[in-house]
Amino acid sequence: MNTRELTYVKAFNEGMHQIMAEDPDVFLIGEDVAGYGGVFHMFDGLLTAYGDRRVKDTPIAEQAIIGVGVGAAARGLRPVCDLMFMDFIGVAMDQIFNQAAKMKYMFGGAVSVPLTITTAGGAGMSAAAQHSQSLEAWLAHIPGLKVAMPASPYDAKGLIVGAIRDDNPVIVVLNKKMLGVKGPVPEELYAIPLGVANVVQEGDDVTIVAIGRMVLEATKAAQALGEEGISAEVIDPRTVQPLDIDTIVTSAKKTNRVLIVHEAVQFGGIGAEISSQVQESAFDYLDAPVTRLAAPFAPVPYAPILENAYIPDAARIAAAARQLVERS
Amino acid sequence: MAIEVLLPKLGLTMEEGTVDEWLVNDGDVISVGTPLLRLATDKIDVDVEAESEGIIARAVPNGTTLAPGSVLGWLLAPGEVAPGEVAPGGATAPAAPSAPGGETAPVALSGRQRVSPNARRVASELGIDVASLRGSGPGGRVVSEDVEESARVQATKVTSPLARRDAIQAGIDVNEVPTDTGYVTRKDVREAISGHGVATPAPSSLAIIPPGQESSSIIPMKGMRGTIAARMVQSLTEMAQLTHGFEVCMDAVVELRGTLKEQYHDFGLQVPSLNDFVVRATALALRKHPILNATITGREIHLLRRIHMGMAVAVPGGLMVPVIRDADTLSIFDLARATRELAESCRAGSISLDALEGGSFAVTSLGTYGVDFFTPVINPGNVGILGVGRLRDSGRWDEERFVKTQVLTLSLTFDHRAVDGAPAAEFLQTIAELLARPLVLLPGA
Amino acid sequence: MTETLAPNVTYGPPEGYAAGVTRELVLDLHRRMVRIRMFEESAGKLVESGDMPGFLHLYVGQEAVAAGVMSVLDDVDQITSTHRGHGHAIAKGAEFRPMFAELYGKTTGYCKGRGGSMHIVDMNRGMLGANAIVGGGIPIAIGAAFAAQYRGDGSVAASFFGDGATNIGAFHESVNMAAVWDLPVLFICENNGYAEFTAQGNHMRLDDIAERANSYGIPGVVVDGMDALAVRAVAKVAVDRAKRGEGPTLIEAKTYRYFDHQGIKGMRIPYRDPAEVEAWKERDAIRLLEVIGTERGLVRPEDFAATWAQTETDIADAIEFARSSPDPDPADILDDVYTV
Repeated sequence: MNTRELTYVKAFNEGMHQIMAEDPDVFLIGEDVAGYGGVFHMFDGLLTAYGDRRVKDTPIAEQAIIGVGVGAAARGLRPVCDLMFMDFIGVAMDQIFNQAAKMKYMFGGAVSVPLTITTAGGAGMSAAAQHSQSLEAWLAHIPGLKVAMPASPYDAKGLIVGAIRDDNPVIVVLNKKMLGVKGPVPEELYAIPLGVANVVQEGDDVTIVAIGRMVLEATKAAQALGEEGISAEVIDPRTVQPLDIDTIVTSAKKTNRVLIVHEAVQFGGIGAEISSQVQESAFDYLDAPVTRLAAPFAPVPYAPILENAYIPDAARIAAAARQLVERS
Repeated sequence: MAIEVLLPKLGLTMEEGTVDEWLVNDGDVISVGTPLLRLATDKIDVDVEAESEGIIARAVPNGTTLAPGSVLGWLLAPGEVAPGEVAPGGATAPAAPSAPGGETAPVALSGRQRVSPNARRVASELGIDVASLRGSGPGGRVVSEDVEESARVQATKVTSPLARRDAIQAGIDVNEVPTDTGYVTRKDVREAISGHGVATPAPSSLAIIPPGQESSSIIPMKGMRGTIAARMVQSLTEMAQLTHGFEVCMDAVVELRGTLKEQYHDFGLQVPSLNDFVVRATALALRKHPILNATITGREIHLLRRIHMGMAVAVPGGLMVPVIRDADTLSIFDLARATRELAESCRAGSISLDALEGGSFAVTSLGTYGVDFFTPVINPGNVGILGVGRLRDSGRWDEERFVKTQVLTLSLTFDHRAVDGAPAAEFLQTIAELLARPLVLLPGA
Repeated sequence: MTETLAPNVTYGPPEGYAAGVTRELVLDLHRRMVRIRMFEESAGKLVESGDMPGFLHLYVGQEAVAAGVMSVLDDVDQITSTHRGHGHAIAKGAEFRPMFAELYGKTTGYCKGRGGSMHIVDMNRGMLGANAIVGGGIPIAIGAAFAAQYRGDGSVAASFFGDGATNIGAFHESVNMAAVWDLPVLFICENNGYAEFTAQGNHMRLDDIAERANSYGIPGVVVDGMDALAVRAVAKVAVDRAKRGEGPTLIEAKTYRYFDHQGIKGMRIPYRDPAEVEAWKERDAIRLLEVIGTERGLVRPEDFAATWAQTETDIADAIEFARSSPDPDPADILDDVYTV
């Protein structure tokens, strides 16, 4: 089968089309997902292709949207529930963390919840504090949930398919600023299993673990570093829950230096978890403290100058990596 | 012409060195190898030796910090004047006692040395003491690279360029050259070459001077002495050695040598020595008894195709064993010439490492010292060595007549792991038969 | 009254709802209620004595609601329940043995000892799980109803919740969405007058919660929650409506909780008046049905007595089973966090 260049959002959309064609138990509900195709065009063409039984617009009622997904999933369907902006997840949180996440366990395994929640996170569009957040650490903290954060068109397609085929509740967090990013995508249906990190670029001097769109920035930083003779390994965990810590630890033992980059605020972020696990598993292999580069402990600001200061970028990633490998 | 004394680059990452102390004064006459100054780097302190002769003229005072390649002084010919100032190329300004506002000399916080966990792990694996290291990481932290570089510096012994060149020419690894100082000099390299090997002897377990005794002088077990010690101990601990004594009649050889002396005299031709005949006979006998031309590796005995004969040569302070390659193919005259030349270069110290390696059997003679029988020690890697004793008068009964003969005793030490007593005796018989027909020994191939 | 409810509120069951009641129906409803009551009282005592862990939200007093609704549901029909969920499970057909075992935290429990009192589940009986978050089960019920509609399998869903839950967003979001999509679901509000310890008058302005149905354009019904036959009658109408594809119904069953919000020990004054409790007990659902059964000559008193006796035996058996069942192994603590 052929591989061609697709944008991130088109790759995701193709994954949705193909999985809905494959599995009649998959349906999609959410605000403006049917008639409008989703505010980010993630769901273009699905209503036409699969009809209003399987592709439904909902009231603005995030709890009920997710509740429908939980109940239907418990009854054996494979719902895809869209939450539009990740910031809205708070409205639906009880259904996500108390219901979807826990049903399997608190019912002694009697129920599985093959629910997929799609949403768009990330800053960089002057969308301000309630339309820009990266809340993956919230979700990753809850036993029972899985959290995928595609960082390329290839992963956008492979992870939505992997999420829908997974028998657990999975939140797939697309990055708004990556929607137009192009990359190679195979035509056929494929799934990326959840919990397998992607070594985006191999290197020897420093490991950069980047999450979501920061993978792009880290890759740019790695190129700049490479020109200076610093060989950076870039790892995209792809899913922060489950977290493929083995790949990260293996890399840490090789490079002896680890930098973690994410858009979410640094305090209590996924970087803290990765950092802790790296030092637990690879303490004796570290030549420098595991370092985090993330957003300051503030809501996402609106003004472009503030927002640019808020989000890590390639230059700051490279600078942080340089500091890690610096020798006098 | 003035010869520059340069600040040597002692390691890959060395960026500067400090003249800790000059060990010579201006105007001192310096010979090659004289320690000129003590150089301090971030990782090691070394003495810098003179690589040429001359009269020293110092260009920088104690405490000067410069980059590798910087001129520290000159070695002058008598009457020569030092070239003006220090060449600026590559030199940094002499370091101030402290570097205000600079990024150099990071100070460890609260006196605690910062060492990364990985550096500690690597140091532990490599046996490096991190306390001796200067940290190059952020904040002066010792990082694993510091440890690895230190290990490389220790493994890659600090050498004078000349010593390194000598070692390369001699085909030996300078890193294996024993040295007491951590700094390999040409002298160390020479000793290593002459010692045919570079192993360090195992220290004697008798580590104390007997009570009531004191040393009148101390001979370091290093260089050739060390090599001999190590190899002999290795030989006797690793092999099952035993020795046959075997008397051979040398009448035919003696008679032939008499004839050759007569006929060659006017032509200035060299007559092969008694020992040459024995070596030649031994080489041919090895063809017939390949089990003696063998080496043991692990659980296998390898019979070797080619016969390379080691010849023990006494030199002042020790013993060397140059090797005659394909000794069985040489005429006795070529053999004699090769033997002579090798012995001379051994005594002259000009022997190459190549010529000291690869022997598959060895012959050693103590006949000229009046020894009849002895127990030679096999060179590691061989399974036999033949000792040649003193030529002496003897007699035998020919029918009813007592005939005077000349004999010598061959002492064959063999490794019983490879060779049993009877085959060893048969090998000696073959030598005896060949020595009884010395004309066979004249041609080569 | 007609059998079809208008999209506004009606009060009381359809006229003549008790006509044609059979001996079998009375015994069935009676049995469901007796089993609930005896289970709850036994369990309450076991926790009070310290023999059983956890804490219980007892259903005693409200039995007619569960019995009446469940009597018109089949195993394929799904219910979601609340922290006060034992009654729903038992009425839906859950067995005593795995229920007691679950309360004892044993591997033979409905949740293998992972859930306890507030999370009884029985997928074979359409018991989609009790839920300890007030209002949490309502969205899940409309999801089950969505699945029924999606598959067109003719089943319905019912969600049980209290008066307090109708103030939470999940209730409103779910009823609205179910109404918009005509989902086959019954919203059963068991109005026992108290949100935990707060009286209805202190947490809403309405007297009849069924009126909230008006906001969503669906029928609301107020019914006597102490009369199992009445509850059954309105539930039957709602189920039929749902199966016809006409959407959800909100049923408010006015009932009463004999014990406190939690536990079996009397009650704390002054949040409610002891006289109020006694007044409600005068209208006890089980006694009411026994009176109806005997007065109509459908059931002899000894038949009712036999049910009580049989239930007592069943409970003793189940407690013994639970006590002698194996404890879960801490080594398995990660099992069932994820489906692998």
